[in-house]
Parts: sequence; C-alpha cells; structure tokens
Amino acid sequence: MLFDCTTELRVGARRAAPCLIVVALVAGALLAAACGRPPAGSGPITLVFKHAKILGPTDPVGDLLRKFEALHPGIRVKSESLPWTTDEQHQYYVVNMEGGTPAFDVLMLDVIWVPEFARAGWLLDLTDSEPPAELAAHFPSAVDAATFGGRLWALPWIMNVGLLYYRADLLDKYGLRPPETYDDLVGQVRLIRAGERDARLDGFLWQGKQYEGLVVNALEALWANGTRLLDEDGRLFPDPARAEEALAFLRMLVATGLSPPWVTAADEELTRRAFGNGRAVFLRNWPYAMDLLQQPDSPVRGRVGIAPLPRHAHGARGAGSTGGAHLGVHRHTRHPEAAAALVRFLTSEEAQRVMAGGVALNPTRMALYHDPALRSGHPNLPEIYRLTLAGRPRPVTPYYLMLSSTLQPELSAVLVGIKSPREVVRQSRARMAHMLRDLR
Amino acid sequence: MKPGRHGDRRTALLFLSPALIVLAVVTVYPAIWLFWLSLQQRIPVFGIARFAGLDHYQFLTVDARFWNAAGVTVAFTAASVSIELVLGLFAALALRAQCNGRRLALSLLLLAWALPAVVTAKLFEWLYHPNAGLVNFVLGGRQLNWLGDPGLALPGLILADVWRTMPFVALLCYARLLGIPAEVYEAAQVDGAGRFAMLTRITLPLLRRVLLIALLFRTLDALRAFDLMFVLTAGGPAGTTETLTVYAYRTLFQTMQLGFGSAISVVVFLLVMATAWLYLRALGREEARA
Repeated sequence: MLFDCTTELRVGARRAAPCLIVVALVAGALLAAACGRPPAGSGPITLVFKHAKILGPTDPVGDLLRKFEALHPGIRVKSESLPWTTDEQHQYYVVNMEGGTPAFDVLMLDVIWVPEFARAGWLLDLTDSEPPAELAAHFPSAVDAATFGGRLWALPWIMNVGLLYYRADLLDKYGLRPPETYDDLVGQVRLIRAGERDARLDGFLWQGKQYEGLVVNALEALWANGTRLLDEDGRLFPDPARAEEALAFLRMLVATGLSPPWVTAADEELTRRAFGNGRAVFLRNWPYAMDLLQQPDSPVRGRVGIAPLPRHAHGARGAGSTGGAHLGVHRHTRHPEAAAALVRFLTSEEAQRVMAGGVALNPTRMALYHDPALRSGHPNLPEIYRLTLAGRPRPVTPYYLMLSSTLQPELSAVLVGIKSPREVVRQSRARMAHMLRDLR
Repeated sequence: MKPGRHGDRRTALLFLSPALIVLAVVTVYPAIWLFWLSLQQRIPVFGIARFAGLDHYQFLTVDARFWNAAGVTVAFTAASVSIELVLGLFAALALRAQCNGRRLALSLLLLAWALPAVVTAKLFEWLYHPNAGLVNFVLGGRQLNWLGDPGLALPGLILADVWRTMPFVALLCYARLLGIPAEVYEAAQVDGAGRFAMLTRITLPLLRRVLLIALLFRTLDALRAFDLMFVLTAGGPAGTTETLTVYAYRTLFQTMQLGFGSAISVVVFLLVMATAWLYLRALGREEARA
C-alpha cells in the first residue's frame, strides 16, 4: 500500500516536471501579454488603433495604415474594431478608459464625446501637435467640437451632416422643386401620393427609434423652427412654445400617416433601405446613404436628389446636424509621439482624399470638396459642402450623453402620442435639472 | 451522541468553507459595495464623489421613469413566465406522446434555448420588420408596427422571450415525465380514470416540484431581463419596454452615474432576493410534504 503510494507520487512528480515547464511558459507569455508591448526605443513599437468598421465595398483604413508603417519604419499599427452602435462604442470607451492601463493608443471618437472625455482627463492634449494653419483647413464646426476649455483634444477625421433626400423623378413628374419649408414637404407628399395611387409609397422617412438618432432629428426640428435645445446658460428648451410646435409637428407626421408608423422604431439603415427600395418620397439621412442609393443594383439609382432640410414657420432656414468622427490619443499611451503622428497622418489631406474617394466618407478638410479628381467621382460634393457649412453641431457639452439619455424616452413618448409636447418639455427640464444638480 | 454531532457539524463547516468563502468574495462583497455606492453621488467623468445618504432612494420614489420600468419588469415577468410554463408543459406532454422523431424534436427545442439572446433578438428584428417581416406576412400582409407601437412592443418582446425559453421548461418537465412509471397510469386506467383525470390527478401533482423549480429559475431570469429589449427596442418606444435592468444599465454605463445607477441595481437585487426567498420557502414546504 505504502509502496504503491510512493511510486504513484514519484510518477506524478516525473509527469509534473514537463507540466511545470509548460505552466511557466504560459505564465511567462501571459505576463508578457499583460505588460504589453516592449518599451519604446527597443525595436519596433506597436500602436493599437481602435475604430468603427467602415461601411462600404472597400475598407481604406487598412491600406492607409500600411502606408503609415512604410513612412514610419519602427512603428506597427494594429487596427481593432469597435462595437456596431454608437451607444455600445461609448460604453466600450467609458469602461475601458476609466481604468488606467490603455488597451489602445489612438481612438476614433464620435464628435459628441470629445468634451466629455476631455473633461474626464482621458485624452491627450493635442493643441501643440497641430499647427493653427493646418486646423484652419477643417470645417470650423468640426474644430469647435474638438475644442474644450480652449485646448484641442482630437483632430477631425470624417464629416457628417443631416440632409434631405428626395425622389427627383417623382418631383419632376409633378413639376415640383425640393421643399423649402415643412409645409411644402407635406403638400408635396400629399400631391405625389394622391397622383401615384401606390399604397406602398410612403411620404417622409426619418429616425424615430428611442436612441441618439431621435435626438438628432428632434434637434433639427427645433433649429428649423428658430429655436434650440440648450442655450448659453445651459437652459433646456429656452423657447418652450417653439419647441412644442416643432415636436408637435413630428407627432403629426406619424399620426396622419405622412410618415409611416414604423418610423417610431426606425434607425438610419431601416429608413435608408426602405427609401432605397423606392418606397418613399423623402428621407432624412446622412451623406453615406447617397453612395448606397447610387449602387448599380439600386432600384432608385439616378433618381435621387439631395437638398437642405426644410424649415418651419419661425425658422430662417433649415440646418442639418453635423456629426462625424474625430481621432484622439489615449492620455496614458506609452507612445505619445507615434500616436500623435498617426492621428496627423490619418487626418491629413492625403489620407482624407483616399477615404473620400473610396467609400465617400466625407472629409473634414474643406479643400477636398473642390478637388476636381474627387468631384468627378462624387458629383454631389459641392452640394454637401454647402450643406455642411450651413450645418450646426449638437450641443458641445460634457453632459451631452446625460442630456441625450434623458431626452430619448421623452421624445419617443411624443412620437407615439403617450405624452404631449408640453408635458415632455416640462418634465425633461425638471429631470435634467435634477441630474445636473452637482455639476454647475 | 452530542459531542459526535458537534464534530460532524465542524467537519461539515470545514468542507463547506471553500464554497462559503468563494460566495462571500464574489457575491456578498460586491453586494455590500453596491449598497455603499448607492449611498453616494458619484460621477467619475466629472470628478463628483460625495456622500448622498438616501437621496437616490428618495428620488426613486418620485421617479416616473423608475416606476414605469418597474411596471414593465413585472408585466414582462408575469406574462412571459406564465405563458412559458403553460406552453412548456404542453410541449413536454406532446413530446412524451410522440412516437417518432422525438430526438429531432428535442434537438429543435434545444436549438432555440441554446441560441444566445442577442442572436434571438436579431432574428426577431427581421421577423418583426414592418414591411419585409415574416410575422406581418403570416398575419395576411398587415402592416403592424411591432417594435414602434407602444401597445405592441412589449407583447412582441414577450413572444420572443417565450420562443427562446419555453424549451427550458419543456425539457425540465419532459425529464420528470420520463421518471413517472407507466404502472401508475395503467393502475389508474384499470380504476377507470379518463385522460383528463390522469392529467390532473397524476401527472400535474407529480410535476409540481419540477414546475416550481422551473418557475423559480424563469422568474429570476425574467426579472433581470435585459438583452432582448436592449437589442430590439433599446427600451422604446417611449420607454414602454425599458426594464429595471435596462434603466440601471443606461444610468450606470451610458451616463456613468454610479451612485444613482447602483441604487436602481439595489432595488433589482432586493426584488430578485425577495422573489427567490418566497419560492424557496414554497419549495421547502413542498419538500416537507413529500
């Protein structure tokens, strides 16, 4: 018995030896992985670039990164994808940047996050790494969105603006021009639908799902009526009467069928697909939709036009919300110079030209909109340039996410008729005041 | 006798101690920490950290969004769990009565159960598509606005949840049914019992315990429901599908209000604990009777 036991033990020990080596190797590898990349100076450094997947037939980012590596021997760039929706991306950053150790060096940011992240101290100050002349080449609204407390925290990369898509063939058929006011739009929808007698043809599509996109659509409605969401003193709905009018109009669109009932659950892609299948006269969306609508197999190819968003009675003009992406550097990156160099490279005119040419991601550099080579492939660029210049940013505040999260269910309640615009304006104000009680 | 018992007790505690320590570290400690957080106003992004006492709980009592979420959670739980139990029971009975293709039926049931909730949600997103969705097509080309109508969104989610978790109840019941000896039914038949009498007098009483266990698991799961509504409706329209966990998530992770979000989580925790306690007591009584 005893003998058996000892042999067992010895066999065990002999077997354990190789096991221990394996364990040590694995532990060593894990330790190396945990410690990250080798320190700067010794051999090539690796930057991790976190960004959203670029939609479209080709992804230009990979090629651009290889080019950057060729220009900077000794730097390798690893590209990692972010989750799909903007809410999940924000959560990813919040969870991963709150802790100290960076899992990435360069990050793509939705414009609305820059002030929040800057205030949280998560971003590297880029003020001194970009000459003022270079900055002036970007749309001023994009630079404003990256500026917080007088310092620059990110560089503009991709530009976006809300605009109105219309079915040029249908408008032509009835001798109409793109609508300048929402009253015009309503009249045109009624006229065209009466003439077409097609039960499957909807009027005006936009984004009414309870998410960030709904806030953008509501902001545009407020601007169209000559008011806004937040004034300089941080007051929400500074002009309640006009805000209520604008919100009531959105509800009216759903209630009267000028917009199909499902816009209350619609995001950009749902509306883009329906419009792309020829099932609506008007669509509010971003410029990316144009390229998809003009694909060779698109049923509406060559039959789509773009125009500024219309205005309401009290508004001087309609304005699309600007949006888009910026590139920032993680405050605790181990390679600040290399990371800043990558940001400068990706936001350079050369890189933005590649992005704009390939998948029509609109540049933040204004000169590119007049670039003859780009314009031959994307004839809408001058029009988009004008619309972007006229566009307005969402409120540039570190509390934007809290504001949006508070407003989303309230605005949704207006659209589905559960609350009146008046109730929503009043309750949102009270709620926001409570949320921000510690912040002023 | 007595000292021996003492010794037994000590040995039992010794053997239990690893499990108790692990439980303490991974559940009790975070729960206490959560409660401590809920007594503070903490928004790290803005550098806010102060003691707030019961402020958050006080606000919850008047917070319309919270009460709405609580109502949605309870309605979702009651509806989905009761439908799942009834359907699961019938599916199990049907499975037992089935002679051919039982294995196939079981695999199909398991498939629905094994799919990650997010995949199920994406699946239903297409099924509910207003124009191209199968559900509206089957309903005769109607244009029901499943996810955008405040009256339909929650039923739509309940349907998806029932589809996903009914198999769990069915499999539990089926396993128990296999354990009921055929002689019991034969004896009942000899005594002249009809099909209905056999169901209510033999099958259901013998299934009581397993049904109670299924009820316990499903209720606790449903009270914490998150993934389906998060993916399908994001809580909309108008918050009609926002459960307490979705509200807690939005507060905690989207706007980083750690204190307030923790207070909502504490309420969810207490709700789940109270429900579990009630069920466990019922189960205990059941054991005592058996």
